[in-house]
This record gives sequence, C-alpha cells and structure tokens, in this order.
Amino acid sequence: MVISQEEHLKELDKGYRFDWKDPSHAVFEPKRGLSPAVVEEISSLKSEPDWMRKRRLKALEHFEARPMPWWGADLSDIDFENIFYFIRSTEKQAGNWDDLPEDIRGTWDKLGIPEAEKKYLGGVSAQYESEVVYHKIKKELDDIGVLFTDMDSALREYPDLVKEHFGTLIPSNDNKFAALNTAVWSGGSFIYVPPGVQVDIPLQAYFRINAENMGQFERTLIIADEGSYVHYVEGCSAPIYSSDSLHSAVVEIKAMKGARVRYTTIQNWSTNVYNLVTKRAAAYEDAVMEWVDGNIGSKVTMKYPSIYLLGQGARGEVLSVAYAGKGMHTDAGGKAIHAAPHTTSVITSKSVSKDGGRTGYRGLVRVEPDAHHAKSNVRCDALILDEDSRSDTYPYIEVEDETASLGHEATVSKVGEDQLFYLMSRGLSEVEATAMIVNGFIEPITRELPMEYAVELNRLVELQMEGSVG
Amino acid sequence: MTFDRAALDALPIAPGSTGAIRERAFSQFEALPLPSQETEEWRYTDLSEFDLDFVAHTPGHGEGAPEPRIQGLAASLLQHNSSVVMTTSGQDLETKGVAFCDLDLAAEKYADLVDEHLHGLVPTDRTLFTALHGAFRTGGTFLYVPPDVSVEMPLQTLTYLDADGAAVFPHTLLIADRGSEVTFIDRYASPDLTRGLSDAIAEIVVGDGAHVRYASIQEWGTGVTHLGVQRARLGRDADFRSLAVGFGASLARAEAETVLAEPGGFSEMLGVFFADETQHFDHRSVQDHAAPNCTSDLLYKGALRDHSRAVYSGWVHVRPGAQKTNAMQTSRNMVLSESAKADAIPNLEIEANDVRCGHAASVGPVEEETLFYLQSRGIPRDEAERLVVTGFFQEVLDRVGLEEVRTGAELAIQEELRKAI
Repeated sequence: MVISQEEHLKELDKGYRFDWKDPSHAVFEPKRGLSPAVVEEISSLKSEPDWMRKRRLKALEHFEARPMPWWGADLSDIDFENIFYFIRSTEKQAGNWDDLPEDIRGTWDKLGIPEAEKKYLGGVSAQYESEVVYHKIKKELDDIGVLFTDMDSALREYPDLVKEHFGTLIPSNDNKFAALNTAVWSGGSFIYVPPGVQVDIPLQAYFRINAENMGQFERTLIIADEGSYVHYVEGCSAPIYSSDSLHSAVVEIKAMKGARVRYTTIQNWSTNVYNLVTKRAAAYEDAVMEWVDGNIGSKVTMKYPSIYLLGQGARGEVLSVAYAGKGMHTDAGGKAIHAAPHTTSVITSKSVSKDGGRTGYRGLVRVEPDAHHAKSNVRCDALILDEDSRSDTYPYIEVEDETASLGHEATVSKVGEDQLFYLMSRGLSEVEATAMIVNGFIEPITRELPMEYAVELNRLVELQMEGSVG
Repeated sequence: MTFDRAALDALPIAPGSTGAIRERAFSQFEALPLPSQETEEWRYTDLSEFDLDFVAHTPGHGEGAPEPRIQGLAASLLQHNSSVVMTTSGQDLETKGVAFCDLDLAAEKYADLVDEHLHGLVPTDRTLFTALHGAFRTGGTFLYVPPDVSVEMPLQTLTYLDADGAAVFPHTLLIADRGSEVTFIDRYASPDLTRGLSDAIAEIVVGDGAHVRYASIQEWGTGVTHLGVQRARLGRDADFRSLAVGFGASLARAEAETVLAEPGGFSEMLGVFFADETQHFDHRSVQDHAAPNCTSDLLYKGALRDHSRAVYSGWVHVRPGAQKTNAMQTSRNMVLSESAKADAIPNLEIEANDVRCGHAASVGPVEEETLFYLQSRGIPRDEAERLVVTGFFQEVLDRVGLEEVRTGAELAIQEELRKAI
C-alpha cells in the first residue's frame, strides 16, 4: 500500500472527515429510553414472528438484571435513558441509490460507497440509524445461491435458517451488551454462502449514525457452508456531537467444514460514541476464520473478536489495530478457544496511543482438555507517542492439555529516536517521519486490509500525527 | 482451636509497639472476607472451601530441623513452629553493627527501626491473611545492615514446621541501609502433614545505593497451605536481586512485588518452580515503576507434572512520569504430563511513553525428541526427564550471582526431582 507524499500532506489539514449531519428523516417521532413497550414496538413495527418478540423481551430482562462490567473501560457515563433505541429513516429499503432521500443519498456519496460498489464490491448494505436503507447484491452472486440481505429481511425471507442459527454462538444472556442487542436489535447483515462457493469479491456493509444520542444495534449472522469462502467488510462513522451515542452490535459467524471467512472492520466512530460489541465465530473442521479488526475511532471501545476452534485442524487469526487519541479509550483484543485437536491460532495486535489516549489489548487463549497439539502465538506491540498516553496489555493464557504449545510476546515503546533522526536527515519533517514510522509499525495490519481501507487507515495516522511532535 | 479472641489472648505478650499492631490486625481480620474468585487477584485460587481452623500458636524447641545445605553462612536463625529457637552469628557481624535476630526481640531492642518499617510495605489490612498474620505472628526475622556495610556471606532463616494442624507466620523484615550490601535466604521446610498453614510476609527495604540479594526456598511438605507476600521497596540507585524457588506445599500462593520508588533502581526477579501430584501454585509478581530511569527484569520458569496446576500472573506497572523505564517480564512453563494445567497472564499497564517494556509467556510440552535422544543414549526415561527439567531451570540458576545461593538452589532442585520423578 503506497500513498504519495502529496496525498499524505493534503490529508494533514483535515480533521475527522465524517463530521456532517443530515436533517432528521425519521419516519415517526423517535422516543428516548428503554422499556418492554419500546421492545414490543420495535418487534411490531417489523411484524416479527412471536419467538423473536419473546426472545427480545427475555433479553431485556437479562440486560436489566446484569451489572455493568467491573473491568475494562469506564462506562459509568452512559445514560441509557437518553438514548434513542430505534429510528426508522426511510419507509422502505432502496435497491437503487437514486430512490433515497437526497441528503441520505448525499451521505453515502460522501462516504464513497456507491463508487466502491461499482468498482470492487459483490454486494452492499447501507445502514442509516436503525435500518438498512439501501441493499444490493450482484446478480452473479445471487444466481449461484449466495444470500446477502439485511437481518430484518432475512428473518422474513429465511425464517428457518435464522431461527436455527440466531443467538446460538452468542446467547442473549452472554453479557450485558449482547443482552441489550438481542432486546433491541435492528438491521445488520445476513449472509449464507452455499457449499463450495467462493465469493471472490468482498461484500460490504456500512453503518452510519446521523442523529444525536442514537443507539445502533445491528445484528449480523454469517454462515459459510462447507468449503466456501467469503470476505465481509464493514465500516462505520458518525457526526460529532457533544453528548454520547451508543453502538452495540452482535456478530455471529459459522465457518463450516473447510470454509474460510474473513471479516474486516474499520471502526471510525466519532469520539462521542460508545462502541461495545460482541463478535464470535465458530470454526469447524479445517475451517479458517480471520478477523481483521481496526479500531481507530469512538470514545470507548470494548471489543474482543473471538474464535471457537471446534473442529480438528481449524485455524483462526485475529489482526487487531487500535488507535486512541484525546479522550479515547480503546480496549480491544481477541480470543481463541481451542476445543479440538490440531487447531492453531495467531493473534497480532498493534496499538498506538497519543494525546492522553489509552489503548489496551485484552485477550484470551484457552486450550481445552483433549484439544491436543494446539498451537497459538500472540504478539502485541504498542507505541505510546507522548507522556500523557497509556497502553495496557492483559493477555490470559489457559492451558489444559500438555501437548499444547503457546506463546505470547509484547513490547511497548516510543518512536525510536534513531529512526526519527535518520528519516529527518533524509529531509523529512518530524511529523512526516513519525507518521512514516507509525505506518510501518501497523503495516502488518494494513497489508491485510482492502485497498481503500488501508488508504483510510494510513491517512488517519497522518492526520492524527499533526502537531503531535515538536 | 481457631483464630478467636481466646487464642489471641493466649499468645505470648507482644513486645513494644507490636501489641497495638496485633489488636488492630485482629479487628481487621474479623472484618475482612475470605478472598473470593470473583476478584481478579484470586481468580485462579479457590479458597471457598478453605477451613481456617488451625492451632494458632505452637511453641517449638528446635529438634528435627534439617541441616543447612550449604556451608559458609555468615549467620543463621532457626524458627521452629511459632518460636525462634536459635540464632548463630559470625563474630564480625556485631562489630559491623549488623543486627540479626528474632523480630520480637528487635521490637524492643531496635524499636525505632521496627516501628518505622514493620507492616510498612505489607499493611495488615491488605487481605484477610495479612491481617491474620499481623494478629497472630510471633517470632520472625529482623535483619538490619548499617550504611555502607557489606556482609559477604549469606544469612539464612529456616522456618521449620512439624506440628500437624498448626499455623506459622514467618516474617522477614530486612532493612539494608544506604550503600550496604547483604544476601539473605528464607528457607521454609516441613515434613508431610495432614494440614498446616504458612502465612508468610517478607518486607525488604533497600536503601539508596544498597545491594540486596534475597532468595526464598519453599519446600513445605504435602498438606501445607502457603500464602506468602514478599514486597521490596528500592531507593535511589538501589540494586535488588531475588530468587524464588518453590516446590512444596499442597497449595502455594506466592506474591512477589518490587516497587522502584526512586530513580536509578534495578530489580531482578527470578523464579523456578516444580509442581507435581495435585499441587496448586499461584505465583503473582508486580514490577511497580514509580520513578524514572529504573530497570526491572523478571524470569519465572515452571515445570509441571501429574495433576498439578500452576498459574503465573504478572503485572508491570509504569506510572506517569516514570520515563526511561526498562521493564521485562518472562514466564516459561514446561508441561510434563497430560493432566497438568498451566495458565499465564503477564499484564502490562504503561502510563509513560519513553519506555521499553516487554513481556513474553509460553506454555509448551517437554520435547519428545529430546527425551528420545537421551533414552537412545542409554539414559532411562526418568533420568532423562530429570535432565531436561534441570536444563530448563539452569537458565535461571545461571543468573544467580552468589555461588552459595546458586548451589543451595541447585541441590534443593536435585533433591526434589529425585523424589518426584
């Protein structure tokens, strides 16, 4: 991924690029706060089957009964009563960008989604507030039986498949925020890839929050049947407001025998969004699951994509890059649970903190009894760019089988003065040199990203570097 | 008997200011809960079924204690059950002004030092067990080295427990004044017992520019529950090197903490442990960098056999302003049998930017190829396993500077391996 110096410098003058606000398009007057009535209303607006309505109400009970997590980031400022739990922005989903209201269409244009769709995507799902307002899959993929739709439509169109898999990896009482999502979920993606089908162009979803105090709770379920392959990419952004929004997604993925799933996230919420997400994947025999998880925005992120290696020979990989600037706390990481023989996992984490930001790696590698010959390697590196910033590493390694071989390594450092001096002696400014070093530092991650996201991430590093040194 | 008011009142009179500590600690003990697995600190050790019913005080007489493994101790102290029964000392220690005696004796003789430092590093209200210790401790070791005095040969305390159902409260208060140099060994031993409790504390004050080497050799017998806290505070340019050797006890929880409180401090923490049968080890370490320009390095190696379980959790904390910190933390575990379990949680919390910090942890099996090779050369399997474990530990022992300490540790390891494998 090479970006010209001019492009770097151009970006340096810009701030958060996604800070624009559309006027409200709410189809009905949204209400703040959470209650069984709100949950009932969401369910009835979506004309859901009774089992889902009941599931939601039960989950609300779990949410209310569970305490806030005592570990991780400070969540004490979240005001659950001040959040909008459901906002419908368009009467019906569009299959054509031109059918959207003008400002909403304008938002997607500014985000470059229609452009990207034309160039290199197999399908696009565009969620605005609570629902997917635009959705389309390429005809070729549709013809070979790939299902890619928003989750609400999936519940109507493929009720049996959804009922069979929904909440099986992340039950509604798994944790407080998974319970909240189960109670008020709306939108998200549903993907089914038939046996042997290779979806060689990525499917993308983009999540946009527009309203202040919005709560976005998308729900995603991906099933890659035997021997199939799919790459799903998600991005997100929101305008900057002075009060907080909440994003709490649940993502469940099943990679069946011999399947491979790659799930890429570039999370770039504005710094007033709490991002509390549960992501879990099951990898069956010889399956490969890869999470590429970029967290560069939000006020607080707590997210630990996990992989349950359930079949012999399954492989899992988590690549995590986290950035925290002023007022941000990014507590990210990954988990690999080895529950079958000859399974392998690799977790690589890179984090950068600056201007008082705090990044953390929190991870677990667990080898269950009889999961013999498991192998795992965890590598965490952190860069701290100034003395007000902070980095934490909390790796848990639990081994119950003697043939397992596990390793963990981490380093924390500042940008090397020798490296800076060298680059500056070659004519770069200190800002440029620092940016180049940081880009090199996160390169193992950006290398794995789709092109436009890698550009995005590198640009972000550039502009975050502005005024950081000297 | 148990730890109640009657048992407290039956203790020998607490000298000097320790009477007040005893009373205060007892009320803390009554108020504090048994540590719960719900907390991060005790997550891997389940004490919910632990019956805190032991004989609170057992006078000792000194017979039956094992001989020292090494020659050339500068001085030694023997605590048998609850009593310090013997102190031997080389003649030049006294002329140098070194104080080495029963902690209770020191509470009168060196009242100022004891008042200033006793439970200064490990407060009694830290946990239920430190409170219990503060309330029921008798005996213990006091070691004071005056400024610029060097003691070349090591000093040792052996705490020996042989009363079934008894509790002992080993306490080491080591104060190395500025520019001094000393080596001290805490050795804990007992035969196999039905039950026993060792509730141990070591407080180590390393003055500006002082050099302290501290080794603990824990070889309690089966049946003993060992709960130990060791905490050292390093002054400016102080140098502290510790070695923890752990083999014994049915359940052993050992916390080792170093606070780098002033600039220029250096701390090395080494550990080797070997667990077999159903032993449960919970090792925790803290490298607390509170001042700039300090270095700390930790290397713990453990080998596990049979149904044993070992947890290592470490915490490197670099506080704001502790620039130019260099901290390293390494935990290596070798698993020798199918049903042994090892967990490692090496944590870092870094609040300064001009630092070099790293950690590494690994858990892996013994290499079958190595064993096979040794066996093919005619070495029986058991012997081959012993050799592999010895080799695995040697990396740690090679870093122990003082020959007496290294030899003592090596001999202890060989004895243990011969028994176990």
